[in-house]
Amino acid sequence: MESSRLNVSVIIKLEPDFSEGNVSYNSDGTLNRAETKSILGPHSAVASMAALNTKIMYNADVSVGTMGPPIAEQALQQSQLICDADELHLYSDRIFAGADTLATAEVLRAGVDKMHGGVKSDIVFSGHRASDGETGQTGPQTAWKLGYTFFGNVIGFSVDLERRLARVTRLVPIQGLHDVIEELEAPLPIFITIHPSYKPVFTTVSQRLTFFKCQKEARDRSALYKNYLKTFTAQTLGVDPKLVGLPGSPTIVYRVEKIPRAKTSRMAEIVDGSKRDQIKAVAKKITDMVKVK
Amino acid sequence: MEKFDVAIVGGGSAGLAALKQLANLGKQAVLLESGKAIGSKSISGGILYSKKPKHGKAYNVEDVYGQEFVTDAPLERPILKYILHATSNEKVYSIDLSAAHSYQTNYAYSVLMNKLNSWFAKQAGESAEKYGGGIIPGVHVQSVEWKDGITTIETNELDRFQVKAIIAADGVNSEIAELTGARAKFVPQELYQGAKVLIKLPEQIMEKRFNISESDGAAHLFSGDIAQGHIGGGFLYTNRDTISLGGVYHYDSLLGKVVEPYELINKLILNPMIREFIKDEVPQKEEIDKSLPKEEQLRIRFSVSKLIRTWQDLRQSYHSTSGTEALINSGKYKSREEILERLDLIRKDLNSKYGTKFITDYVELEYSAKLVPDGKRCRMKKPYHKNVLFIGDAAGRGIFVGPRIEGINVGVDDAVRAADSVSRSLDRNNLDYEYLGGFYAHSVDESPYTRDMKQIDKDYLKIFLSATKDVPKDIIGSRYSMIFKLMSSETFRGLAVGFANILGYDRLLPILESEETYNQVPIELAEKLGRRMTSDYRPSIPTIAERVAKLKYDDDTVSHIKVSKPTSEFMKKMVSLCPTRCYSIEDNQVVLQHEGCIECGTCAPETEWRHPRGEKGITYQYG
Ligand SMILES: Cc1cc2nc3c(=O)[nH]c(=O)nc-3n(C[C@H](O)[C@H](O)[C@H](O)COP(=O)(O)OP(=O)(O)OC[C@H]3O[C@@H](n4cnc5c(N)ncnc54)[C@H](O)[C@@H]3O)c2cc1C
Ligand code: SF4
Repeated sequence: MESSRLNVSVIIKLEPDFSEGNVSYNSDGTLNRAETKSILGPHSAVASMAALNTKIMYNADVSVGTMGPPIAEQALQQSQLICDADELHLYSDRIFAGADTLATAEVLRAGVDKMHGGVKSDIVFSGHRASDGETGQTGPQTAWKLGYTFFGNVIGFSVDLERRLARVTRLVPIQGLHDVIEELEAPLPIFITIHPSYKPVFTTVSQRLTFFKCQKEARDRSALYKNYLKTFTAQTLGVDPKLVGLPGSPTIVYRVEKIPRAKTSRMAEIVDGSKRDQIKAVAKKITDMVKVK
Repeated sequence: MEKFDVAIVGGGSAGLAALKQLANLGKQAVLLESGKAIGSKSISGGILYSKKPKHGKAYNVEDVYGQEFVTDAPLERPILKYILHATSNEKVYSIDLSAAHSYQTNYAYSVLMNKLNSWFAKQAGESAEKYGGGIIPGVHVQSVEWKDGITTIETNELDRFQVKAIIAADGVNSEIAELTGARAKFVPQELYQGAKVLIKLPEQIMEKRFNISESDGAAHLFSGDIAQGHIGGGFLYTNRDTISLGGVYHYDSLLGKVVEPYELINKLILNPMIREFIKDEVPQKEEIDKSLPKEEQLRIRFSVSKLIRTWQDLRQSYHSTSGTEALINSGKYKSREEILERLDLIRKDLNSKYGTKFITDYVELEYSAKLVPDGKRCRMKKPYHKNVLFIGDAAGRGIFVGPRIEGINVGVDDAVRAADSVSRSLDRNNLDYEYLGGFYAHSVDESPYTRDMKQIDKDYLKIFLSATKDVPKDIIGSRYSMIFKLMSSETFRGLAVGFANILGYDRLLPILESEETYNQVPIELAEKLGRRMTSDYRPSIPTIAERVAKLKYDDDTVSHIKVSKPTSEFMKKMVSLCPTRCYSIEDNQVVLQHEGCIECGTCAPETEWRHPRGEKGITYQYG
């Protein structure tokens, strides 16, 4: 039944690539954004994996959206490569600039409402948080604006399509103790921020076959991602200009502490494996270390 | 439990052909391959043949994949020249066997198994999808169970599922054969061990050196002293811009006179003729001054590596018509001369700034080894068990007679026969074991390849002998000159072959495959008639540790092999015969370090031997 098809939305973010070789710093130790390459944020990638899971398990219709400058298309393309998205949304407008998490959430709320041809989403995924200086509020605030039940730190989920019920497992960190795994049930729609440790597993033959089919489709689709891309402005999204961008941001940044670049503390030493004395020296270092412990 | 019509275990060339053929017939099949990616576990020499036997039909790759195979598949070079060299020290006597090589042959291509199997997988996978099947890599089949008429497959990675029939294409070390009790493990008398190295050589240098054109290639076989008294020989095949160099030796002969497989390869490399074939211009890095600051040392290391890589890639393109064209078309260079200028510039830069020298040497890309079933001795007489049909190496099938080395094409032929048999059973909804298996066994029996595994083909013998007609028979000592003389006469040959075939191939084999034929006769030939080859070049041969260090593994924490007889004579020989030196002796006990295992199967006869779990173990880049 098409009407019972699961509509899954993902909100993602383009972030600087902090991996070695791709990140560039100014001489004062601040991030050089122009020189640093941008990629789909690692948390957004995990959220995309969760969406792929719904595609394989429930044949979900997947939409991915992001707010950002035109270059954020790249993140959408990378996300599509992971989750084989059926639709990509870019919310891009000069007036969105300077948005805090709340103003961002307003744009994303409006965006999610436009996904799946305007049909309500059943599940919305977002990353745990962004890795370039955000505090993990965008997800919950978007959920609040959408009026969806919110689950954070989710490490697993399943959906009962007939009863339109979701069951999620989430990590609850308890200070001083081990994390507790909590299992909860809620009617759809729900909003999930996915924990970085989430990893989908496919254990039946059909799931694996679908997985490879989706992977292939995702490769083909993301090569032509523009065919799936819709760009929205404040106007086409129909958001109130007072609620987005700088005017919609109640946060006042009092002062920004520079995060100085950590001094490299590890130094690689290259050892020639064919030289016995060098290998011996390594072995000695290791045994010395063990002895200290 | 999920249900599928057919499961194929193993994604080598045989299993993939079975999947494609089943899809051609509109049947649903799932192929499970334990390697991380298709093609990552198969190795071959390898020349892929397409055959047109006079009697009976051989199913070829193009019958399965269509005529596009020849135009689209990643084939290296069509092999037109096939030359056998008898060696003794520096002396080499060569016999042109091209006519024997092209006997009943449509074509023969040199191939690299990883690339080729990936191509097969793409075709087979796409076709299989249409019928609800496909390929699942990274899954290791653990066991097969029959209960209440239901066949279930258990793997390490997936939920159990149910099938109507199974095609076992899990290679020479087939676990399916062993765990279902379809056949006993192969014993050394039934096996060869094959090992090879892949060597880099730019296209046009290769063409000049081997006297071949852009659109053909050559195969060189070696026997004589390079075999170091073993039954078997060496091979050298020209690929597009690499050379496959290796040897295939009878396993019991290796057990009799223990020698490290890589030493046999090294012996080949040291032959002056081969030295001249493989040598190339190779950059040699200068030791970095250790007194420099660490950062500076790193910078130099990276700069040198980068420059060398650029130089190598550019040189590769420079020595290839298509490569040069691509560079010019891309607008990066205006002419061939300009590329050469740039190459010289980089070379000078490397030399003057970093002290890099350019020496004569050769570059190994990959070392590999695997057992090969000697179809003459070990092909399964009943190639099925219940509803499991065995094909290719798993069924012990392959033709290895003198210079004939054929396994890939035989597996493809089996695959078609197995797929046809399964399809017939599914169509008639009759999965009775005898109905399915009996039909398959009969079909395999009718294969011209089975005939080649059972008896001598007198027409082939004639062509073979006429290639050796210039050899003065009286120079070969003992009984062989007599046999040669007799065999060269048409009437005698007919009679003798007829008689021999009645007597039985099995009884004839010890005479055909003996130290005399493989070692003494070639050595005598080389000594008495051979040309003296010279080469000033001294190759710097990598140690086995260096060869293993280049391989890609995904280590499993637990070993897939269990040593059950740590003090047996056989196991002690593994210390030498394991191609990657996984075995050593401690306190008179043989111990295994499984991390370097390349899953060749050599130690299988006396160990509890399994393939690693899905995605684990060796991943060959070339194969
Ligand atoms: C050195 C050498 C030279 C050769 N030269 C030639 C030549 O020139 N021409 C020629 O025609 N033949 C040659 N052969 C033989 C030829 O390579 C083989 O016959 C052929 O590759 C076998 O194909 P296969 O599909 O039967 O087996 P394989 O290619 O071995 O495939 C078996 C597959 O099954 C998988 N597998 C095993 N167990 C399981 C399990 N339990 N679950 C899931 N997957 C499993 C393995 O990972 C593997 O991918 C040569 C062989 C060697 C070693
Ligand atoms: S451990 Fe056994 S199977 Fe592995 S490489 Fe050595 S001999 Fe081959």
